[in-house]
Amino acid sequence: MKPLTEGIPKASVSKKENRFWSKAFQQRYLYMMSLPFVIWIFIFSYVPVWGWLTAFQNYKPKNSILNQKWVGFDNFIELFQDERFYLVLRNTLAMSTMGLVVGFTIPVIFALLLNELRGQFFKRSVQTISYLPHFVSWVVVAGLVTKMLSTDGGAVNQLLIYLHIIDTPIQFMAKGELFWGILTLSDLWKEMGWNSIIFLAAMAGIDPELYEASTVDGAGRFRKMWHITLPGIRTTFMVLFILSIGHLVSIGFEKQFLLGNPLVTDFSEVLDLYALKYGIQMSRYSYGTAIGIFNSVVSILLVLIANGIYKRVTKESII
Amino acid sequence: MKRRMQMVLSLMLALVFVFVTACGKTNNEGSTNTGTTNGTPNVTSDVTEKADPITIRLASGDSNPSWDDMKSDLGKYLLEKTGITIKQEFPVGGTDSDMFALMVASDDYPDLVMPKGNAGKLVDAGALLDLRPLIEKYGPNLKKVYGEYFNRLRWSEDDDAIYTLPQGGVGQIYFESGGGFQLQHKVLESAGYPQIKTVQDYEAAIKAYVEKNPKTADGQPTIGMSLNGGEWQILISVTNPAFYATGAPDDGEFYVNQDTLEAIMHYQRPEEREYFRWLNHMNDIGLLDKESFVQKYDQYKAKIASGRVLGLIDQNWDYGEAENALKAEGKFDSTYARFPVTLNDTFQDHSFQGTGYIAGYGLGITKDAKDPVRLIKFLDYLASDEGQVLVNWGIEGKHYNVEDGKRVIPADVQAMKSNDNNTFKKTTGIGNYLISARYGDGVLDPTGNYYTTTFPEQIQTSYSDADKKTLAAYGATTYKDLWPADDAFPERKYGAAWTLPFETGSQANVIFQKTQDIMKKRIPEAILAKPADFDKIYDTFLKELDGAGVDKLNAEFTKMVKDRVALWSK
Repeated sequence: MKPLTEGIPKASVSKKENRFWSKAFQQRYLYMMSLPFVIWIFIFSYVPVWGWLTAFQNYKPKNSILNQKWVGFDNFIELFQDERFYLVLRNTLAMSTMGLVVGFTIPVIFALLLNELRGQFFKRSVQTISYLPHFVSWVVVAGLVTKMLSTDGGAVNQLLIYLHIIDTPIQFMAKGELFWGILTLSDLWKEMGWNSIIFLAAMAGIDPELYEASTVDGAGRFRKMWHITLPGIRTTFMVLFILSIGHLVSIGFEKQFLLGNPLVTDFSEVLDLYALKYGIQMSRYSYGTAIGIFNSVVSILLVLIANGIYKRVTKESII
Repeated sequence: MKRRMQMVLSLMLALVFVFVTACGKTNNEGSTNTGTTNGTPNVTSDVTEKADPITIRLASGDSNPSWDDMKSDLGKYLLEKTGITIKQEFPVGGTDSDMFALMVASDDYPDLVMPKGNAGKLVDAGALLDLRPLIEKYGPNLKKVYGEYFNRLRWSEDDDAIYTLPQGGVGQIYFESGGGFQLQHKVLESAGYPQIKTVQDYEAAIKAYVEKNPKTADGQPTIGMSLNGGEWQILISVTNPAFYATGAPDDGEFYVNQDTLEAIMHYQRPEEREYFRWLNHMNDIGLLDKESFVQKYDQYKAKIASGRVLGLIDQNWDYGEAENALKAEGKFDSTYARFPVTLNDTFQDHSFQGTGYIAGYGLGITKDAKDPVRLIKFLDYLASDEGQVLVNWGIEGKHYNVEDGKRVIPADVQAMKSNDNNTFKKTTGIGNYLISARYGDGVLDPTGNYYTTTFPEQIQTSYSDADKKTLAAYGATTYKDLWPADDAFPERKYGAAWTLPFETGSQANVIFQKTQDIMKKRIPEAILAKPADFDKIYDTFLKELDGAGVDKLNAEFTKMVKDRVALWSK
């Protein structure tokens, strides 16, 4: 039995293909311009994935990657059986979520306030001063924070004692339960100005006519902020937000590494640090790779979920 | 919508570019001019055969802030003589184990490595050359220095290759003790030089001084004692002293029974619990610096350099830099005297229990080395009599003179050496080139002089007046005199157990890492707890060690110790 429509889709497919190729030919310069970036991504993001093979081996650097002992899922089983892994996963998620919430709301508010300023000189100075800490290394920041919170002449303790809020200095850095907060706040201090730049840029791109129209309609400053500025930066905000969600599990470890100390490891150790300690430092590259794979899979899932929710709510998608 | 999207994306792209260009500063280190061939080398030793200058990279596991970059007197001399420029690399931020692990992971090695405890990793990765054939052919001096201990250089039972040249001094006699418990001279003086034998004596001296002087002259509170417990030196300043104070030698993290060679993790000894209980007590009465386990090394050094810390429990090489700062400022009464303090009278400090020659941490040549033969010749030169005198004493006529056949350090050089050692090291380079095989302190060269500058008379001339005054009060000539004599205890058949490497990535290695993580958390917690909670926390600590599999680890380590004894007694 021959379906009646057999010929039709074939024709339309070839037509479509034709259209694609002719369009591609028309836009050949655009394609050529983007080619270097595609190659770049391929080399740096796809080629290394080949190394994932090591997660299923007992990798020894002496031999080549194909000449290793295969161990199946042993590394993953060990990983998921280690209590410490769940502890560091909790710390990672807690700190990155806190960072995400604080690291987005405050810079947006800061950008909104800056945007309302009239004096250009003042505005620029504040902006510059606020993003300077971004260029300070974490090593230095960690030193500053530890010194500020020190019990031995640290500014914070001295202030609190002077104000009679406490009698004896508090050992901030030795209290595990305070660690997440200290880390989030120092991160905020360092990155607030920098993160707000992109929002400021987005705000600058909002059509001034909208503001003029709303002035005519009798809207005050806060109305304008709420109804024009914020919706105006929504897309920027969401793109950055969803991308950051993708980085929830891979937040790096330098801050935690530098600010932490043995007393607070139960709160300061994060996945990457765990991978470093129990993977690379002990030459267990396979174990480290297994953690890396876990990281990547979770990250992709998080991005997809976040985008899905956003899509459902706003009917827009960034991917 | 689409337009806005495009704008956002291009904005982000722009940001990415900012990053890329910011990070893309090219590293032109390699192109720095290294050849200084204008001075004609006037010696015709082996090393100078090939006069063409080369630059070699040396990765060192120990940071050396006084490294001179070949710009010191000694550095220039060696460069002129051998044409070799050494570029040293140190661990940045992390520890030495990160540095070498990453090196293995990236499969990119410098010419020379001083990997400390990480040699095993490099050997497992096939990164180190077997030096045995090179030494046999080009290293007569190297072989001579190691002498009867040459067989201890062998890697293991199954592998007779030599991967590293141990850098410990051969035939070393200890004339000086850099460890123990430290007290400032002013504390001792104000207490009338009391006996300092037990932790109680030590505590009493600090207590008396703090009561009399709660604040320093500039109004800052005095600190009873501080420990360097915030970074890896927790092992040096907090846990190793638990060995010494309870009559055991430092065997890394293990206590080895000298008769049966059975090893246990040393925290499991009941004696050590009592030592930590004493630290807990010191914290309770406010004499222990509350920041001991939080502070960074820099903070610790800054505190010492301010002269406010009355007592330390550390090693001279760890606090020496800060003490040098005190000396440079002339605050000699705030520098430290050292004592072998034990938990009570029944213990004796075993710091100097003999080990024979420890073929421990050393220097290796990697498979990426450009010219191993030239390197081994260079190392052989450094190990020759001429080379050893050079790296230990410096250049004749400049850093020492020969008077009546004796090497003598001029007074001005000696003054700089003892009082401003950091600058001394950096400008002269003496102490920076001890990378090859060498004799230890107390060994005489053919001219009847000591190879090193550490010998009884020299130590005494390097003491400050404050040191001399304190030592006179205790009827000693060196701090070492306060310790039990070297032959007070039988020699350890396995050398020192801290030189035993775990097989990388093995189960024992993982368990060991876990116990270290537990220890680094629980020991500070126990010390800082209320005295009533101490036992509870210590019991939890021991239980956690059990949970991590410490029994298996002990069994494995016992086997390693026994294997070492078998290997070395061949």
